[in-house]
Amino acid sequence: MKNLDPERARWIKIRMGMLCGLMGLGLGGIVSGAYHVQVDDGDEWFELAERQRQRRLHIQPKRGTIYDRNGAPLAESVEVPSVSLDAVEMLRGIDPKYLPMKIQQYSARVAEALNMPVEDVADKLTRRRRFAWLKRRVSEDEVQKVRELSDRTQRYPLAGLTIEGEGHRFYPNRELAGPLLGFVSPDGDGREGLELSLEHELKGHASEVHGLRDRAGRLLFSEGVEDEQALAGHNVYLTIDKGIQFTAERELEAAMKTYEAIGGSIVAVDPATGEILAMASSPGYNPNDYGAADPDARRNRAVADRFEPGSSMKVFMMASALAAKSVDPNATIYAENGTMAIDNVVIHDTHVSKWLTPTQCLSISSNICAAKIALGLGESRLYEGLRRFGFGDQSGIPFPGESAGVLRPRGRPWVQVETANAAYGQGISVTTLQLAMAMSAVANNGRLLEPLLVKRVNDGTGVTLSEASPHIRRDVVPAATAQLVSEMLVSVTEGEGTGVEAAIPGFRVAGKTGTAQKIDPTTGKYTDAHYIASFVGFVPVEKPRITIAVVLDEPVGGTHAGGSVSAPVFRRVGEMALRYLGVMPRGSVPMKLADLSKKAEAGDTAANTYQVMGEAKVAAAPAAGVVTPSAPMRAGEARVPDFAGWPAREAVKAAMGLGLTPTVEGTGRLTHQEPPAGAVLPKGAAVKLVFEPST
Amino acid sequence: MSDKFSDRDQNHFDWPLFIAAALIAVLGVINLYSATSVYQGARSELYISQVQWLVVGGIIAGVVAAIDYRHLERLGYVLYTFGIFSLTLVFVLSSGAANNVRNANRWIFGFQPSEFMKLFMVIALAKYLHDDPRSEGRTLRELLVPAVLAGAPALLILKQPDLGTATIHILIFLTIVAMTRIRWQSAALFFGSMIPSGYIVWNYVLLGYQKARVTTFINPEADLLHTGWHAHHARVAIGDGGLFGSGFMKGTQNQFGFIPDQFTDFPFPVFAEEWGFVGCTILVCLYGFLTVWGIHIASQAKDRFGAVLAVGATAVIFWHALINIGMAAGVLPVVGVTLPLFSYGGSSVMTMLMSIALVMNVSMRRHGSVPTPDRL
Repeated sequence: MKNLDPERARWIKIRMGMLCGLMGLGLGGIVSGAYHVQVDDGDEWFELAERQRQRRLHIQPKRGTIYDRNGAPLAESVEVPSVSLDAVEMLRGIDPKYLPMKIQQYSARVAEALNMPVEDVADKLTRRRRFAWLKRRVSEDEVQKVRELSDRTQRYPLAGLTIEGEGHRFYPNRELAGPLLGFVSPDGDGREGLELSLEHELKGHASEVHGLRDRAGRLLFSEGVEDEQALAGHNVYLTIDKGIQFTAERELEAAMKTYEAIGGSIVAVDPATGEILAMASSPGYNPNDYGAADPDARRNRAVADRFEPGSSMKVFMMASALAAKSVDPNATIYAENGTMAIDNVVIHDTHVSKWLTPTQCLSISSNICAAKIALGLGESRLYEGLRRFGFGDQSGIPFPGESAGVLRPRGRPWVQVETANAAYGQGISVTTLQLAMAMSAVANNGRLLEPLLVKRVNDGTGVTLSEASPHIRRDVVPAATAQLVSEMLVSVTEGEGTGVEAAIPGFRVAGKTGTAQKIDPTTGKYTDAHYIASFVGFVPVEKPRITIAVVLDEPVGGTHAGGSVSAPVFRRVGEMALRYLGVMPRGSVPMKLADLSKKAEAGDTAANTYQVMGEAKVAAAPAAGVVTPSAPMRAGEARVPDFAGWPAREAVKAAMGLGLTPTVEGTGRLTHQEPPAGAVLPKGAAVKLVFEPST
Repeated sequence: MSDKFSDRDQNHFDWPLFIAAALIAVLGVINLYSATSVYQGARSELYISQVQWLVVGGIIAGVVAAIDYRHLERLGYVLYTFGIFSLTLVFVLSSGAANNVRNANRWIFGFQPSEFMKLFMVIALAKYLHDDPRSEGRTLRELLVPAVLAGAPALLILKQPDLGTATIHILIFLTIVAMTRIRWQSAALFFGSMIPSGYIVWNYVLLGYQKARVTTFINPEADLLHTGWHAHHARVAIGDGGLFGSGFMKGTQNQFGFIPDQFTDFPFPVFAEEWGFVGCTILVCLYGFLTVWGIHIASQAKDRFGAVLAVGATAVIFWHALINIGMAAGVLPVVGVTLPLFSYGGSSVMTMLMSIALVMNVSMRRHGSVPTPDRL
């Protein structure tokens, strides 16, 4: 408006200027507002944003594998899909008045896809939680249906459904070491056995990981945390030897059947290191199906059960007395013709004798002699001696529910007759593990070691985190005493000894039988009806390689004595274990089967497992590469199917159904199998299945 | 008349205006690309249709800028009547509840008449003030007709209900009035009457959810899950940007879908999160430049019609930008107002391009011959 009088033009200019100023002020206000939010309080808002998108993982990283000492898997995790529901997301933006109708409608669709009751889904939807498992361990078919339901290109997609890989614990050897291994709950927590006590190692480190989420709560991994291996639980290598464990369980099972015992346990220890080579508990169970197992069968009797050991305690009484020099090894002791009264109690010997040496006292297991030596040693020194052998204390084994046993059940020093009783293992209680460890101390020059169950812990990437080494608890008796007792114990398995059944041809075996009467719980008195038969010993005496304790609870039938019930079990397990450990009788050229199998393992898992599982004749199992698909099948053999493209769970199931032992690597679908399809393998042989996630 | 209308000169093409508007439009499309990248399918293609709208709108804007604005003067009341008729039509049709986006009925035939109504109102006001060329200060009574011209569409829009657009109509009217000369007493009386009328509007005109938005603005954290949700998430995103932003396509609040309506009402938080305070300042400066430049053009306009037209068109852009950014930054309450050339939407893009075209039109003709004195 140029052509105005100056006065008016000036006013217009002023008004325009004011307008400009006001508008500029407004924009300035906005800029300052943005400054306030972005720069001044920026950190606060940034944190808030961070909190919104971050969410703790509820997906568990892969649980670590439990291996035996040679790397054979005992417990491993297979990833199986599970479906979870975010009810808030699914019902977002629905008018409250249509809510009940929509819940019904959605529930019906979800329930149909997952083959589950509509009410269950409706119930979970109604609760409106941000996270709830809908169905765990869903089939491939159901996964597909859920994908279709939440497909956003479809007409009515459902939000809030998530398919997540969930670790499913799988025990490829089924019953093998069941009570030892324990099991894992569906939530992925170790519940019993080693799964519980090694929880910290096995479970991944989920709490350290943050995922990013979007508004729908979907998980998005940011860069840097993609290395799932680093998050995965640690792999644990046990000291257990699958081969010895297998034999121990087989023999224990056989003895249980033969003598109709109600329970039994075997512990095998390497006396030089304290490593537990086998720990069997019967009745056992299959941790793959722990729900069906009797809770009683899930207990690891070798560690959790205490019992009156009977005569096997004489070994430790004798060692204590010899160490204290309260008895001369060459003395002769009057055995009272089989009957002796202490205070008002009469004790008997099964072998009636007059004069016995300490050696004979052990070999024919004279209670009277033992009582006399114990009384000569004195209450406090006997108690102290047994304590030093580890009785009455927990051994420190990393296993839940270890019993300490009881030496002084009344909490006061023994009276005279109790001291005598303790000398032959009455009125006190011990565990199978304690017996094995104490006997190992005798074998190991009087040095008591801590029992080791875990040999090595590796992280998910294979880096060794910790390696167990022998740990000395104490020197119980002088080495010379221990060697003397060892020699005395050889007489048990020779000639007139009570434990000749334990003798292994070609080896000198040291050991001691134990036959303890059980207390009838109704009368509170010892009964002649129920016994605990035990044998504990080590072999070979010159350089002990293995200590085995065998305990059978309530054997019935013609005999119940430790010498006839448990000693043969010792022999059979010991025989096999020695062969397996490569200990050859009478100076023949040593050849370690274990080493051979290690070599074999590098090339052929199947052959290795086969050696471990079976007898000598199968050592010539066909190698993986050379099997002809047309090979004829005999009884006890299985033909390996073509698993290509199978989901992990199905493949493992099928392999187990055929009696094969699958070893699983990776997750997803099968990309590689060993041996190839069509191979004929003996039952129990290993099949290596390699999976890769399908993308 | 033809000689008078032919004094348009290509050299007078307003490059600063064009470049500022083009910059905003380009930033807007880039931002829309990022904002809709969250989605799969049709929605992720929205930026393409935005470009199409910009091209179509640009061509129409070129035509509008080319035709001398003084032709509009004659069409002034015709367009206004057409606009009012469209709004009434929406009102009538909406009783049948056809298009229902959050219970608001704003569309007919795919357009929002309320968007174009702003410009029709500006043209009508320009014509009225042009035809009433008094130079002494106006009284309130003399502002009655302009007030009715602005109030009628505002009320119709408020009943749609669309508080934001109605407010913008009033604000545009006030901007234009602020430019004309008013008696001091009248101004005082006007602002005095704001208080009782505000009371009446609050109690009898505004709907529940509209009131809730205002109370939420006063205390935004009170009700995070419902009315405060938009503002809260917008502010979290803006704050997440910080000084320099998280980078193009890297705004996590946007990428993870936390920002509501991120391509219509809340494109600013997306932009702010990705480009930070620095980016925001540049964008606000661009809008600021458009505003100052528009008023500068108005002050040089050849006639009062052109001046009011330029001020009104500028006010359309200014108030949209101010209210939209203000509500995103938490400085103003949340009302459904688009960000010029940033928000997705045909009607919005067209209206903004037409506004710029009108300013351009006035700008290109301010250097011409002396207009007839009787028109001033």
